[in-house]
Amino acid sequence: MKAIRQIFGGNLRQYGMSFALILLLIFFQWRTHGIMLTATNAQNILNGYSYVLILAIGMLFVIITGQIDLAPGSVAAVVGICVALSIKNWGFPWWAGVLFGLLVGIAIGAWQGAWLAFVGVPGFITTLAGQMLFRGLDQYIGKAASVPVPKEIRYIGNGYLPEWGPNTGLNNSTLLLGVLALVAIVALEIRRRARTLKAHGTAVPLWAMVARLAVMTVALGYLTYLFGSGRYGTSFPVTGVILVVLVLIYNFIATRTTIGRGVYAVGGNRAAAALTGINTKKVYFLAMANMSFLAAVAAIMYVGRSTATGPSDGVGWELDAIAAVFIGGAAVSGGVGTVIGSLIGGLVMAILNNGMYLVGVGADLSQMIRGLVLLVAVAFDLYNKTQGRPSITGTLLRGLHIRERGEATGMERPRAGVAQS
Amino acid sequence: MGVAQGPLLTMHGISKRFGAVEALTDVDLEVHAHEVVALIGDNAAGKSTLAKIVAGALTPDSGLIEINGEAVTIPTPAAAYNLGIATVFQDFALCENLDVTANLFLGREMHGALRRSDEEMERITREVLDRLASRIPSARTPLGSLSAGQRQSVAIARTLIGSPRIVVLDEPTASLSVGQTAEVLTHIERLREMGLGIILISHNMTDVRAVSDRIEVLRLGRNNGSFVTQHASYEEIIAAITGAPRADALRHPTGATLSAVS
Ligand SMILES: Nc1ncnc2c1ncn2[C@@H]1O[C@H](COP(=O)(O)OP(=O)(O)OP(=O)(O)O)[C@@H](O)[C@H]1O
Ligand SMILES: [Mg+2]
Repeated sequence: MKAIRQIFGGNLRQYGMSFALILLLIFFQWRTHGIMLTATNAQNILNGYSYVLILAIGMLFVIITGQIDLAPGSVAAVVGICVALSIKNWGFPWWAGVLFGLLVGIAIGAWQGAWLAFVGVPGFITTLAGQMLFRGLDQYIGKAASVPVPKEIRYIGNGYLPEWGPNTGLNNSTLLLGVLALVAIVALEIRRRARTLKAHGTAVPLWAMVARLAVMTVALGYLTYLFGSGRYGTSFPVTGVILVVLVLIYNFIATRTTIGRGVYAVGGNRAAAALTGINTKKVYFLAMANMSFLAAVAAIMYVGRSTATGPSDGVGWELDAIAAVFIGGAAVSGGVGTVIGSLIGGLVMAILNNGMYLVGVGADLSQMIRGLVLLVAVAFDLYNKTQGRPSITGTLLRGLHIRERGEATGMERPRAGVAQS
Repeated sequence: MGVAQGPLLTMHGISKRFGAVEALTDVDLEVHAHEVVALIGDNAAGKSTLAKIVAGALTPDSGLIEINGEAVTIPTPAAAYNLGIATVFQDFALCENLDVTANLFLGREMHGALRRSDEEMERITREVLDRLASRIPSARTPLGSLSAGQRQSVAIARTLIGSPRIVVLDEPTASLSVGQTAEVLTHIERLREMGLGIILISHNMTDVRAVSDRIEVLRLGRNNGSFVTQHASYEEIIAAITGAPRADALRHPTGATLSAVS
């Protein structure tokens, strides 16, 4: 147990969730006789659910501030129709249509953010109104018609990276991405270790870092193989690339920036945040605006995948996003939650959905099961919090820090040669 | 660097109402460098309101604030921080979901171009915690798992971040043990030695008499007496707090005029 802690550090909760995810994958791999983990199915999952995961990232920030957004589905519908119509009827080039769609998303987000931040209407009400308002607007603009989108937009929602170069047996773009990711992970890990050593004089032992990197390398290698080994012309999907880029950016914002700290502070204790000089209005405004911006991104991916807009685009999306965030460990009262957790929460839902579909479980039962999973996941979190421990994470972290103060066991004193390089 | 002769902080004619409640009416207050001013008074006398005005958390309806003789406005807590004012609020204003380091630097995080300088902030946090001899296990302990007293230590530690000239402490020892209270009083004395001006709000007369140089009494939102701590008798002070008929006790160490209560 101690060894595992040292390898995985403070992220044990997230690794625990990843572990649940892996169990789920293995279970369905068994039940579907190997269909679950084929390149085609993996690509389908990403193409079919990336937009929900992206919504979940936006929703996470809103939920951390202690608010909720019920409108992203409707916002997405408006953005979808704006993108499609601007290209088809107004002669916008595809990229201008995309840009226009993103601007519409930001504008709607600013509208909702303003009501919350400057007028003080609670997010629940603001966005409930927004849900109706923008659903109506979508119908008004779209007249319930289905408007097709050009192939460039379809590429965004359903495309694959190019094939090139020598025959490696894999899609070379995917292979390249895998290698780049590995290099980045190793470099970051080494830099992080150096930083910790400099700041604390101690860090996790070298063997733990090597073990962690080994685990990551195997996982990354497998993913590269899984996505790269599909039929010719397929790869790690474009939707997946967009998702990964957004996850990296938003994880950085949440964990490493001042504005990210402000988001957590506002959710944790709004009055305190205001007294310490955090601009709480700005935080609320940005969280809301960002949610609608990401809803616009999701909308463009979604209409691309469905090749056309439709009157029921975006219906119920907000609920999927909210479920993902809470399964991912966020607190209803705000102040708690992580991007990676929400991503994993969303993947749990996606894989359940996809797996049950493959197994032939009907939509009715599938829905019920996912509802129960949400309930149990949150109940489990609450149970842990009421056990006299602040949370699973808190408990584990405390264990780690006693050691970090250098009192005992396992922590390596800086040694020349290890500290450098 | 030249030591200003006049007061560090001057508040003149400060008034603040909340709807029908006149929390402060025409209040004056001066704080000099190297001076601890105790601000005392009954519950709802307006002490915290005055502290929040200094801290930039509230803006007065009228009145003048000067720092080193220069008129200033303190519209936000960030402005207060930039003017060198550090405040410990009565309800300590901390975030339980964040760790000690995060709380210490809340609202004034150190950062590079994009990234927060977490390692640097943690290093300073550990220094500060050591200096305060606080019983806080680690700079990364989430605040939610600290005791009330430990949290108060964190709130007080916030005044050691940056280089404040004026420190406002609103009931900083309310939930502290005897030992911890002594630490805080020592800390206040240390701040005074460093040349800061300190406003200490407290209901504890023993603490007030132990560290303060001057005692300012607020009653129903008005100045109701100013005492040199050394010369003030317990009875005089109590009389000023409760509004009982009192011996005229308006004395001032520097001889500067304070508005007399008539
Ligand atoms: N935000 C607010 N809104 C409305 N009224 C307020 C507000 N803050 C303070 N008051 C009122 O102003 C008056 C002064 O309050 P204040 O908190 O300054 O008292 P205090 O002297 O700090 O009291 P205590 O010793 O109980 O802390 C009280 O009557 C209080 O009800
Ligand atoms: Mg008070």
